[in-house]
Parts: sequence; structure tokens; C-alpha cells
Amino acid sequence: MIFIGPHLLLFALFFLIPIFFGVYISFTNWDLVNTPEFVGLDNYKDILLNKESTFYTQLHTGLGNTFKFVAFTVPACIVIPLLLAAALHVKPKGMKIFQAIFYLPVLFSISAVMIIWSMMFNVSFGPINHYFTSSPNWLGTQPYAWIALVVVTVWWGIGGNMIIYQAALNGVSKEYYEAASLDGAGRLQKFFHITLPSIKNQLLFTIVITTIAQFNIYGQALMLTKGGPSSSTTVLLMYIQQNAFGSGQSIAGIASAMAVILGLCIMAVSVIQFFLLRERK
Amino acid sequence: MKKVNISTLISFIFLLCMTLIWIFPLAWSLFTSFKDEIDIQTFGFTMLPIHWVIANYQDVLFNNTSAPVAKWFMNSMIISVTQTILVLVVVSMAAYGYTRLRFKGRDWLFSFLLATMMFPAVVNLIPLYKIVDTLGWVNSYWAAIVPGAAAVFNVFLVRQFMIGIPIELDESARIDGANDFQIYTKVTLPLIKPVLTVVALFTFTSSWNDFLWPSIVFNDIDKMPITPGLQLLQGMYVTDIGHAMAAAIIAIVPTFILYLFTQRYFLQSMSLSSGVKG
Repeated sequence: MIFIGPHLLLFALFFLIPIFFGVYISFTNWDLVNTPEFVGLDNYKDILLNKESTFYTQLHTGLGNTFKFVAFTVPACIVIPLLLAAALHVKPKGMKIFQAIFYLPVLFSISAVMIIWSMMFNVSFGPINHYFTSSPNWLGTQPYAWIALVVVTVWWGIGGNMIIYQAALNGVSKEYYEAASLDGAGRLQKFFHITLPSIKNQLLFTIVITTIAQFNIYGQALMLTKGGPSSSTTVLLMYIQQNAFGSGQSIAGIASAMAVILGLCIMAVSVIQFFLLRERK
Repeated sequence: MKKVNISTLISFIFLLCMTLIWIFPLAWSLFTSFKDEIDIQTFGFTMLPIHWVIANYQDVLFNNTSAPVAKWFMNSMIISVTQTILVLVVVSMAAYGYTRLRFKGRDWLFSFLLATMMFPAVVNLIPLYKIVDTLGWVNSYWAAIVPGAAAVFNVFLVRQFMIGIPIELDESARIDGANDFQIYTKVTLPLIKPVLTVVALFTFTSSWNDFLWPSIVFNDIDKMPITPGLQLLQGMYVTDIGHAMAAAIIAIVPTFILYLFTQRYFLQSMSLSSGVKG
């Protein structure tokens, strides 16, 4: 007990209790300071159904943008690292260096990466407009703001998936390919009929963890597009943070209800992850 | 033979193009951090500095009391190093408990811990703040150090590794009269060094890079770590590109250096974690 005690204590105090407390206060009118008062489903009614409420608009805009972000980035964060891993798999010259460079941005903090990229997209001094003939206001107009968010997210976060795919590709038996060659299968046929089915588990795993990660989108939208233009990239976590910890009185009850809704979306995906994890245990 | 060469060539060209895209932002920001601010305003985009200066670094490190980057850097160092040590101790002890000690409901308890990993962390953000506030930890290093040690995943990783170590080693130590604590320190810890290295590297980098949580629990500028600090700084250096870049470079140097020396572990650990999970 002395061995597991410290971790269990930390786990209970900083993870388990806050989770249940978090669900509870979504049914209260808490302001972070006074004793929370139970208000039943009022917060949920307000954000889900009351079209007049600002919080209704916030939830719908925020959740909508979060879903858009997931839909735009997840496919790119699967396909691009898969292509890189496939190219690295033929072991070209300098493979180790290529691999190291693609992985590198994962290790940098989001705020440093966003400072670098907001300058990359800078209208007057940024290199991107220097090389393009047309000079759009990348971060201030759509669809450019979304493109910028996706580009940055892919640049920052594909390293992990790439390494997982590399390991997966190494595990595919060469005999399958040889047998397929004898049967006269082409390159693409081999890819779709041998490679993809063989790495199915790893693909599923990366899709799940990438989706969960992208649902927690916050830093990119906050620092790169600042939620704009006109709230078109304001994501739900930004509203949650503002309502609970922003200037003015805290509306932690409403913010918690929003967090629970976002949490339910994430949990739907996590359930799949849990079963994947158990299978291998 | 010819076919192999063509696919190698195509791969090589593809990777080379992608690498250029990946390196460009880093190279440009590094060079820009050494540019004279006036040159940037006058000449617009250039790759290399026209005059090489280190003024940007001097300014952001020491001459700005509303964005004290040197202080933030030290705060981050203290937080990340302390959290890494705390996590190593807590996690290795817990993993030892879940694999080597026999007590009622052990495996049930561990399955329960695993199942809670499904709970989305976003829900505990607001109550966690209240708990940390009640402990009097707002604006203190403890707020950034301690809650992170509650994570279950590291325990899972170390436990998986320990299951692979034959228990006979423990038993022979026990026959020699060692107690649990001695077995843990003398037998187990040396054997699980590889997985602890991985845990240490990941804890350090994620602690260094943590953004949302520290930006909530720190509002005192002098106490802040560098990652949330940079967000404040972004608002101050909107047009001073050289200064902003210098600050960003300072913030990424520690994890970059760590990666240079321990790349092998980072890459191994990725396949390790997908191996157990996927």
C-alpha cells in the first residue's frame, strides 16, 4: 500500500474527484467563489435550446468550429504521415535525418510554434506571401484562416503518427509482397490489399488518438487566428476558458456544462481507444 | 533491380521536398531572430539577416519587465525538472505495487484506473482550479508540478515493462533477506531504467510545453513558465518580428537539445507505446 498509495492519492485528488465535481457543477450556477446552488438542467437548457441566449450561440459556434477543425485536420494527420512513412520505408539515403526532422516540431511548445507561424503568415513581412503572387490576408479572411490552421497543425503534429506507421510497416511480412508479385499485383494493388490491411490496428489506433487530440484544439485558434475572422475559428475550449476564467464574473456552471458536452464527444471516441487498449493487455 | 531504384528515387525526392517545407519555418525564424528590427521593416522579407545582431536576444531576455523571458525560462526549468523527478518516483513505486505486491482487488483496481483514462480531462479543468486554489497553489510552482503526476498512462507503461521482468530475481533477493523496499530500490529500479528514461523524457517535454493549464493557474507575470508566457509576449511584440522570434527560439532550445542527445529513446518510445496500445 505504501507503494501505490502516493499515486492513488494524487489520482483521486487531481483526477477522479475533479471529474465528478466537474459534472456536478454543470448542474449548478457556480461562480468559482460562492457555494454552488443546484439548478437542475437549466444550464443545459440554456446552452442547447434557448436561441436567445449568448451561451447558446457560443456553444453552437464553438462546437461547430471544433468539429470542423477535427474534420479538416484528422484526415491530413493520417494520410501525410502515412505517405512519409511509406517513403522512408524504402530506406533512401539520409533516412535518419529525414525522420528526425519530421518528428522535431512535436517537441516544441504550441506557443512557440504559433509565434513562428503567425509571422510566417504575416501579410507584409512573411515569407509565404513573398513567394505567392497573390497576397491574401491569411489569418484574417476565410477560407485562408482555416487553411493556415490546418497547415500549422499538420506541420506541428504528425511526427508521432509517422513513427508508429514506420514501425507498423516494418512488421509487415515480406513474403506477402513476394507472393503478390508472383500473382502479378501492381504497386497500388499491393498497397491497398496487403499494406493497409496489415497495419489496420495501428491505423485505427492513430485515428482514435489523433481525433481525441484535435477535439482539444485551443492554442492554434487562440494564438494564430485569435478565433477570427468574426468568430469563424473560435473553438469551444476558448469559450469554456473565457466563461470560467475570463475577466468579469466567472460563469463556471455554464462553462462546466459546455465542458461536459465537449467531454461527451471526446468520450465517444475514447471508448474505442479503451477497447483497443484492453485487447492488447 | 531497376524498379527498386526508381521507387527509392521517387521516395527520396518526395522526402527532400517535404523536408524543405518542414525546415523552412525553423530556419527562417532562427535567422530572423538575428536580424536588425529596422532592416526587417525596411527590406521586408529576406532569408538571411543583412546585419547580424544579438540585440533581440538581449532585449527579450533582460530588458523587458512585462515579459521577463529569462525569469520564465528558469521557472520552466524548475517546474519541469521537479515534475519529472516526482513522476519517476510516484510512477515506479505504483508500478512495483501493481506487479509485485499481492493484495486483494489489485488487478480490479488497476483495470478501474485504466478505464478512467476514458474520462475526458476537459471536464476536470474548472474543479481542478478550485482544488489548487484551495491548497493555496495559484501562482505557485506546485500548481504546475503536482497535478500532472496523477496521470495513469505512465503507470500503465512502466507496469507493462515490469511484467516482462522475471519475478525470480525478486524471489532470490527475498531469500537473501531483502524486504520490499530493498527489492524495489536494488533490484527493480536498475532493471526498469530503459522505460523510466522514456517516461522522464516525455514528462519533461510535456511539462515544458504545457499551455492551457499553466495559463489558467498563473497570472503573476514573474511566476509564469515560458510556454504560457509567450502568449503574453505575442501581444507585446506584434510588429517586432525579430524579438518575437528570439523568444520563440529560446523557448524551443531545451527540448531541441534534449532531442539531439536522446533521439533514439524518443523514436523507440513512440513505437513502444503504439505496440502496447495499438
